[in-house]
Amino acid sequence: MEDVYMGIDVGSISTKGVILTKENKILSSEYIWTEGNPIGAVKKLVRLLEKQFDKENYRIVATGTTGSARKLVGTVLGATVVKNEITAHAVGTTTFHPDVRTILEIGGQDSKIILVENGVAIDYAMNTLCAAGTGAFLSSQSARLGIPVEDMGEIALKSQHPTQIAARCTVFAESDLVHKIQVGHTKEDIVAGLCQAVVGNYLNNVGKGKKIQSPVVFQGGVSKNIGVVKAFEKQLGCPVIVDKDGHLMGAIGAAILARRNKKRSVFDFNMEDMEFITREINCGGCPNNCEIICVYRDGEMIDSWGNRCERGNVAARKAAKLMEEAE
Amino acid sequence: MAEKTKRKIAFPMVARYNEVVRYFVEEGLHQTYIMQPKMTRRTLKLGVKYAPDMVCTPFKTILGSMIEALEAGADTLIMVFGYCRLGYYGELAESILRDLGYEFDYLNLAEYTTGKNKDYLKAVKKLNPKAGAVTMGKAGLDGLKMMEDIDSVEDYYYQNCGFETTKGEFRKALKQFMHDMGKAKNRSDIDSGYDRCMEKFKSIPIDKGEFPLRVGVLGEYFTVMDEFSNIDLEQSLADLGVEVHRWMNVSHRNLHYPGEKNLHPRISEYCNYEMGPTSTANIWYAKECAENGYDGLVHVKSAGCTPEIDIMPVLQRIGADFKIPILYLTYDSQDGDAGLQTRIEAFYDMIEMRKKVIH
Repeated sequence: MEDVYMGIDVGSISTKGVILTKENKILSSEYIWTEGNPIGAVKKLVRLLEKQFDKENYRIVATGTTGSARKLVGTVLGATVVKNEITAHAVGTTTFHPDVRTILEIGGQDSKIILVENGVAIDYAMNTLCAAGTGAFLSSQSARLGIPVEDMGEIALKSQHPTQIAARCTVFAESDLVHKIQVGHTKEDIVAGLCQAVVGNYLNNVGKGKKIQSPVVFQGGVSKNIGVVKAFEKQLGCPVIVDKDGHLMGAIGAAILARRNKKRSVFDFNMEDMEFITREINCGGCPNNCEIICVYRDGEMIDSWGNRCERGNVAARKAAKLMEEAE
Repeated sequence: MAEKTKRKIAFPMVARYNEVVRYFVEEGLHQTYIMQPKMTRRTLKLGVKYAPDMVCTPFKTILGSMIEALEAGADTLIMVFGYCRLGYYGELAESILRDLGYEFDYLNLAEYTTGKNKDYLKAVKKLNPKAGAVTMGKAGLDGLKMMEDIDSVEDYYYQNCGFETTKGEFRKALKQFMHDMGKAKNRSDIDSGYDRCMEKFKSIPIDKGEFPLRVGVLGEYFTVMDEFSNIDLEQSLADLGVEVHRWMNVSHRNLHYPGEKNLHPRISEYCNYEMGPTSTANIWYAKECAENGYDGLVHVKSAGCTPEIDIMPVLQRIGADFKIPILYLTYDSQDGDAGLQTRIEAFYDMIEMRKKVIH
C-alpha cells in the first residue's frame, strides 16, 4: 500500500482535484464547474476522483485545499493543509518547471503574477481593482457574442486585424465592445481584440512595475485560450509555456504542500454521504455585527469563522444550540 | 464659538490616541471628555452614507465617529488637520454635520495654522477660557508622554506578540495598559502604568528562534496606524509569526520628526523633493528597512490617497535595488477580510520560503 496525497482547488468558476504520488505522478485528476455551490462541487469532484482511484494499492494520507473556498472545503474534507492559491500555484509550478522565472495566472475572478528566482517566489501581485481582464470578463463577453468560451481562442487566431477595445474597466470595455459590434467589426476581430484586451489589462494592472523574465509559464483557466497565449507572446516578445496540466497547478500545489506538511489524516471518501450545510448568523454582540459562517455536518456544527473578537464564538455556539433544539 | 464654561468635548477615533486627548481635556482643561464607542462597521456605514463618495476612507470613519460622539452626548468637537486633503476635512466634516442638523461647537485646528505656537494656545483656550496656562502646559506634557508610551508599547507589542508561547498573554497586557491609561489622572499614573506593562511584556515567554522574520509596515498616516481601518493588518502578520515593525506613529512623525532637511540627504538617490506629508518619511523608512535586511515591506494606503500612490514607483525601485519583496495594500470601505487574508498569507509564505533558502 503506497501513501498518496490529494489536492483540491475550489475557485469561483471551476473546481479542480488531483491525487498525487510521492514522485509527483498524477493518479487521478478532475476539472468541473463550481456553479456557485462549492460544497456540492467538491462532493461531485471527490466522487469522480474516487472512480479513477485504485483503493487496493494506494491510500490518501493527507489532503490540501486551496482556492477562494479553501477554508469551507478544508473543513468539509477534514484537510490537513489549507493554503492560499498564490503559494499553491508557486509550489506546483516550481516543482514541474524548476527553471521558471515568471508565472502568469488568470483565473475566473482574479489574476496574479509570481516572480521566481532559484525556484523560490520572490515577489507577487494580485489584481486589486476588479474582475476586469479575468476569466469572468471573457465568459460574459462570449455569452454576449453567442460563442462558447472554449472556442474563443481558435476564433481569435483567424483574425487579421484585432479590434482595439478599451480594457481598463469591464464596464467601459463592454460599452466599447457593443459599439464596435454595431459599426460592423467582424466577430473574429472582436474576439481577438478581447484576447489582447485581457493581456493589456493584465500587464498594465497586475504586471505593472514587475520585471517579466523568461521562462514564462502561463496558467489558470484562461491559459486554455490560445488567443490569449498568442497575445501574451506578442506583447512579451518571448515564448509562453502552457503546461498541459496548467489548469490543475493549484490543486497539484495543494497536494505537494499536504505532503510536505507533517500532519496526516487518512481520507476515506465517506464524506460523500454526509450532509453539509452552512448558515450565516449575525453576531449582535456589538454594532459591528460580524457575519459569522457556521458549518454543520449532519446537523452538528464543526466550525465557524468570520468574527473579529471572542464574542462571536459565543454567538456561534448559541446558534448551534438553537438549531439542535429546533430539530 | 460661544462662551461656555461647561463643555462635553470629543475627538474622532484615531488608533489608540483618544486616551491622550481625554487626559488633556480632563486634566488640562477641566472639562468633560466624551469617549464614543470603538469604531465598528456602523461607524463606517454612517461615514459612507454622509460623506462624498470619492473622499478617502479615513474621512468616512472620522465623520462616522464624530456622529457617534455627538450621539453619545458631546457638544464640542475637536478636529485636527494635515498637509494633504486632511487639511480640508475639518471644514467639510463640519458643514456635513451642520447640514444633518447637529448642534455643537467646533474647534477646527486648521483655522489656527499660522505657524506660531501661541495661536494654538488661543485655540485651546476657547475650550475653557478659565483654564490656567500652567495647568494646561503640564497636562499637555503629560499627554505627550502618554502618547510616547502608547507608541512604544505598540512597538514592543507588534514586534513580539507573534512569538508568545501561550496565546493571548500579550493581548491581555496591552488591554490592561490601555485600561490604565484610560484611568490615569496624573503623571505618576501614566509612568507606573507604562512600567507595569513593559515589565509584564518582558516577563512573557517568547520563542523567536534564531532568525525571526521581520517585516516593515509603512504607508498612509491614518490607515497604517488604525487597526480598524487596516483590518488588523499588523495583528494578522504577527499571528503568522512575524516581527512587525512600524515607524509611522504620532510620536515619530509629529513629535520627534527629524524633518525633511535631515531625511532628504539619506534618500537623495530616490527623491529630491517633498512629495507629500508622509512621503519622504516612508521612502526613507523603506530604504532603512531594506538596508537592515528586513524580509519584506507592506505598503498601506486608502484608495485614492495621492501622496502614497506617488511614492509607489519609488518603493518599486527600492524593492528592485535591495531585492526586498513589497506587498501593496489598498483599503476602501470594504469589510470583507478574505482577500486581505489571502494576500497576507501568500506574502508570509513567500518571505518564509525565501528565508529558508538564504539561511
